[in-house]
Amino acid sequence: MTTRYSRFLSAFFCVFLGGLLAWHLLLPDRDRSDVENRTLAQLPEFSWESLKDGSFTKSVEEYFADQFPLRDQWTGLKARTEQVLGKREFNGVYLCGDALIAKVEPPKDGLEEKNLSYVSRLAERTELPVYLGLIPSAAEIRKDDLPKGAESWDQAAFIARGLELEGVEPIDFLTALRDHAGERTWEGIFYRTDHHWTTLGAYYGYTALMESLGRGEEVLEQEAYERRSFPPVSNGFQGTLYSQSGIHWLEPDSIEFWVEDKGLSVTSWRDGTPKEASLYDSDYLGKKDKYSAFLGGNQPLCVIQNPEGTGKLLVIRDSYADSMAPFLALHFEEVHLLDPRYYRYSAAKYAEENGLDAIAVVYSVPNFITDRNLVLLIQ
Amino acid sequence: MVFSSLTFLFGYLPLTLALYFLTPLRRRNFVLLITSLFFYGWGEPVYVGVMFLSIFIDYTHGLLVERFRQRDRLARWFVGQSVVFNLLLLGFFKYWDFLAANLSLLPGVTVPQLGLPLPLGISFFTFQTMSYTIDVYRRDAPVQRNIIDFGAYVTLFPQLIAGPIVKYKTVAAELVHRTVTSQDFAEGACRFTVGLAKKVLLANAAGALWESCQASQNAGALTVAGGWTGLFAFGLQIYFDFSGYSDMAIGLGRILGFRFDENFDHPYLSTSVGEFWRRWHMSLTSWFREYLYFPLGGSRAGSARTLRNLLIVWFCTGFWHGASWNFVLWGLYFGLWLILERFVLKDLLTRTPVLVKRFYTLLVVFVGWGIFAMEDLGVCGRYLAVCFGNGPLWSAPDGYRLRSWALILLLLVLGSTTLAADLWKKIPERGRKVLIPVLMALGLVVSTAYLVDGSYNPFLYFRF
Repeated sequence: MTTRYSRFLSAFFCVFLGGLLAWHLLLPDRDRSDVENRTLAQLPEFSWESLKDGSFTKSVEEYFADQFPLRDQWTGLKARTEQVLGKREFNGVYLCGDALIAKVEPPKDGLEEKNLSYVSRLAERTELPVYLGLIPSAAEIRKDDLPKGAESWDQAAFIARGLELEGVEPIDFLTALRDHAGERTWEGIFYRTDHHWTTLGAYYGYTALMESLGRGEEVLEQEAYERRSFPPVSNGFQGTLYSQSGIHWLEPDSIEFWVEDKGLSVTSWRDGTPKEASLYDSDYLGKKDKYSAFLGGNQPLCVIQNPEGTGKLLVIRDSYADSMAPFLALHFEEVHLLDPRYYRYSAAKYAEENGLDAIAVVYSVPNFITDRNLVLLIQ
Repeated sequence: MVFSSLTFLFGYLPLTLALYFLTPLRRRNFVLLITSLFFYGWGEPVYVGVMFLSIFIDYTHGLLVERFRQRDRLARWFVGQSVVFNLLLLGFFKYWDFLAANLSLLPGVTVPQLGLPLPLGISFFTFQTMSYTIDVYRRDAPVQRNIIDFGAYVTLFPQLIAGPIVKYKTVAAELVHRTVTSQDFAEGACRFTVGLAKKVLLANAAGALWESCQASQNAGALTVAGGWTGLFAFGLQIYFDFSGYSDMAIGLGRILGFRFDENFDHPYLSTSVGEFWRRWHMSLTSWFREYLYFPLGGSRAGSARTLRNLLIVWFCTGFWHGASWNFVLWGLYFGLWLILERFVLKDLLTRTPVLVKRFYTLLVVFVGWGIFAMEDLGVCGRYLAVCFGNGPLWSAPDGYRLRSWALILLLLVLGSTTLAADLWKKIPERGRKVLIPVLMALGLVVSTAYLVDGSYNPFLYFRF
């Protein structure tokens, strides 16, 4: 190596390291990342206490990583490299043609069995009929599209256990979704870049739920909606799997609203006080997290009233119910949607105090087997 | 702090280098000491105290040995004292809980476990400082009278937490006087980048494959093919991880003006288990040879003594790797193979074709990795049983794994040979000059992308 050449190499090395450091320092810190859908770590405040217990340096590392320049582009580059290397799994997400499917990991600590037992104990505690519906994720419905030999936990077997749970009425989402998976192209049922079901998927789910409640004949034919349907409200939906996998090169999804928000009253309880809301919050369509347009995203409790409906239903649910709720709202006088992740009060008591007729636990399998809040059902 | 982290690469390293090169030559050891203490204290600030204690005690013991050189018994006493201190330090932090747990198994005995976190690199720096007093006593190295220079040696951040174990005599001269040419810097930077890429791109990929095989075992679905895939992946992971870390250390040392000895020399090309250990983690093997095996009498005192010495050394080598029975077993396993090679297989091996010998060595080594990787001996036994036929041959996930990792496995295997180096030499000088910056940029950029993604960045030798 000549001196000139080694100076060039040394400078190159230093400029790369030092340049990114300078960029990092000059770049204004961001509060949150929309792509990752979370708040980003900020520069921690120094204290001797936090230095001593090691939390200070840890926070600095988190800050440094979270505020790193071009964070999303680096993640995208990593995913591209992995693809070139022949990988099919990207941070727990399988790339299956033009769609992403989240891998379901086996549950830990027997949580899946515990959660099932909480549901049966809820049924023992209350006079009201309790229904359980476990929604399979795309990894089950689209099993054949996964990379050959790729592993994902067996949801069908678990759902079968749920359907046989004693003292609880079953809602068979699996069969409903499976039947239609063959009939129409699968794309309709799940988003390609997000883990949720689409409005179509939610429609099939709603038919299954109505069947179970013995009100199957009330269900409106799909065509009844589609005739009414508006064009997709957004064609630019890049969901959670887009963020998680780092695969940024797929066609975005489109989102559809099927139900007209007329004659309904929607009340959101986000912070302990009632606020008027709506079935669809179009504000979110302009943001990254477009799925939250359904009912306005996560909230402890949401009540939808329809004076023309009959019956009062409590749905204990995860976010899959957000896109199903508009359909239910057409039939029930009251639909109460309760999310145990945020709602900290006895569900059984709530149902009794509000004069509800039935309780439906509606959960996607991946959430059901990992949620540690379902113990609240037995309060 | 680990080298393969954003805070190190884009925070600590550029700032430290800037400070180091802006400081006049004679103050640089001071800068090294301060920045290395900062590096050390980053993970576990409280343990900087342990570091100070270690520096102080070994420094004074070096002086004492020198001072009482004429009175050999006293000098030996001080060497002994320093060795005992270092072993106690290591023993207390690394082995206390293990001993407590095992002693408590005896009826009527309860020894409390402390659950203290292990000070970073304690296995490495205690061995280094032991080498110092011994070298001073043996006149292999001059005594160091400047505590700052000595402190800089003990804490030198490039090799502080994961080796290589740099003996004092190797760097004694450079500690006092060293120069850094632009060529040193450039070659150091290249070496560092190679190590970074080996660790972040290849080792972690192999690690993910190993974890996937382990998950299969946990789910009770391990097959013979999956078992061997896992062992193969783990062996490649630990090689690229550890040799990558050594590359980074050697590169950083070079940038700062030190020349450390090589730590790996294509170990997976070895044609015997003995040769493997002369090519794998060479600084540790030579440490044990020089400071334990030879003092015990080595192989010059008859077969029975040789046998004993080999067993002692390999028990210690195994135990050094971790406070758990599987590491002891792992060390003794190699001890047994080395004894076999020395006393039984010797003639047979000389008559065996090279390829067969390589295969035999790899088989021994990779089964050994199974013992190394699984601390729970029950799990380990079941895993190895599957490998040797106690399970189905093949399942669909095996195909998935091999397809997904095919290219990476190919790179790992080729990277374990001398092929890349041979090819590199065939490229004409001008081509190399163009390729070096391109590869360097590629290595740095892609490694950064993986680090930012950060989903998977465990470091195997971090807590040793």
